[in-house]
Amino acid sequence: MNDKIPRFSRSWRVQHMLLMVSVLLLVISGFSMKYSETLWGKILIFLEGGFQARGALHRLSAVLLFATAIYHLIYISFTREGKREFKSLLPIRNDLVDLKNSILYDLMKRAERPAFGRYSYREKIQYWAFFVFILLMFLSGMVMWFHDFFFAFLPKWAFDVSFALHGGTATLVILFLVLWHMYVVHLSPANFPANSSFWHGYVSVKWMKENHFLEYESMIRDSEAKHAEGKED
Amino acid sequence: MTALLTILLAFLQIGSSPQNTRCFLCHGKKDFGVMEDGKFQSLYVSPKQFSASIHGKFTCVQCHTDVKVIPHFIRPQKVSCLQCHFEGNTVGAPVKWMPEKYKDSIHAKALAEGNPNAPDCETCHTTHYVKSPSDSTSQTNRRNIPDLCGRCHIKQFESYSKSIHYKALENGMLGAAVCTDCHQEHDVLPPSDPRSALSAEGVVRTCAKCHADTLLMARADVPVQQPEAYSESFHGIALENGMVKAANCTSCHGHHDILPASDPNSPINPKNLPKTCGKCHPHADKNVAKGKVHIIPSERSAGIVFYVYTFFKWFTLAVLVFLFAHIALDLSGFIRRKHARHE
Repeated sequence: MNDKIPRFSRSWRVQHMLLMVSVLLLVISGFSMKYSETLWGKILIFLEGGFQARGALHRLSAVLLFATAIYHLIYISFTREGKREFKSLLPIRNDLVDLKNSILYDLMKRAERPAFGRYSYREKIQYWAFFVFILLMFLSGMVMWFHDFFFAFLPKWAFDVSFALHGGTATLVILFLVLWHMYVVHLSPANFPANSSFWHGYVSVKWMKENHFLEYESMIRDSEAKHAEGKED
Repeated sequence: MTALLTILLAFLQIGSSPQNTRCFLCHGKKDFGVMEDGKFQSLYVSPKQFSASIHGKFTCVQCHTDVKVIPHFIRPQKVSCLQCHFEGNTVGAPVKWMPEKYKDSIHAKALAEGNPNAPDCETCHTTHYVKSPSDSTSQTNRRNIPDLCGRCHIKQFESYSKSIHYKALENGMLGAAVCTDCHQEHDVLPPSDPRSALSAEGVVRTCAKCHADTLLMARADVPVQQPEAYSESFHGIALENGMVKAANCTSCHGHHDILPASDPNSPINPKNLPKTCGKCHPHADKNVAKGKVHIIPSERSAGIVFYVYTFFKWFTLAVLVFLFAHIALDLSGFIRRKHARHE
């Protein structure tokens, strides 16, 4: 049995890479303005080439993120693979049961660790949190970027709300990135120091059994069925 | 005969410095003066006003040092204030930084360039009747500053006299801003000079000197949060980072003729806001008046922004707790699995 199991297609990995680069740039260029009065804010602005270059970088990364989002929306709407992936990312009732059982297991109230399918509640929380964050950041960011245009439709307070929303959501993005995503894929003992599947797309059998047992099972079933079919031919 | 008498008089005065009463024998007469270029120039000095001035206890010749005998037949040199007002003087003349600061000013520059209207010390402080600015009869007293500057700066005074600052001053509110509060006293510089208190970067700090002063603003019944709120706003952040085209206080409030928003002539009156914002934002219309200006999100007065801010504050805190709890639980599960493997 081959130890390497393909987990992420090339398209998935490209999307993740684009998302990673654009969000990192947005975080750096955004927070350097939010904390521009602090020393490290000033250092970041200096590295970005000055205050105006910082703004240009933020907008440029926003365009990259927007393009990535459009690419992703096309991927999940029109490609067979994307539709399948999106379907397995949709939250279901069983996710709540999994979360409950996981907590019970962690608290030693349950003997068995729940087995997960292709995407567990962990990946789903990650995906949907960022789905909502990007939507909020996009809307509030557009209002601020094109304020001259929006002055014709929106009251003054809408700009203040956008500003507060953009800053508040940015903090949540950081929290989810560091305490959820970084933990789940890097620092957690299951993946330490990093789960490199984001790069080459492959995971080990051991890792699959530990983290996505149900998917592993169905993969085995599928391959056995295929094998059987092949024998009949 | 006259010459002989003069020599005799001079001889008698050797060793003693002439008393002011001797000077006032001539200079104390109201019609005393000389004809110069066909014009009468008064040389009168009011003994009463001089003795009431801050220099009243000095003798005339302490400043007019080139007058040794009275009567003097030569024209005395122009007196320089720096004769006494220099650092390290022995007569106890206050120096501080004023004369030095004056040297940098646009006034001193104009004077050096030969502008006959440029003011030097005596233009503002008077020649013979210098009084402390704290003396309410001094023309450098806060109450009298606008009139003093307005003597030359007529247009600016006219504009300023319409402002809420001047109205407050007239009503006895001595803390109200007068010319020198914004333009500085001795080192008056044009706003285009980066050292000026009224440069694009400087103007916010200049207004904040008073408008962030809680006590002063409470007395004037003016909200005090504006400078802080401004510095957290888009305009404030941009300006702080060197984008001088960003709106500063004066961009919206005007300068000499500052009026409260309630005044229909004020550029920040809700009716005039579209025009005021429209100076920079071409599509601004009456929408810009819908909402509050100078808001601090953490304060209830910020309205809807306060609720957005408060939601994010508590939600972020809850998320933080959830994320940390998740890590703690996951680690405990991992330790349990590790133990199970060892057993």
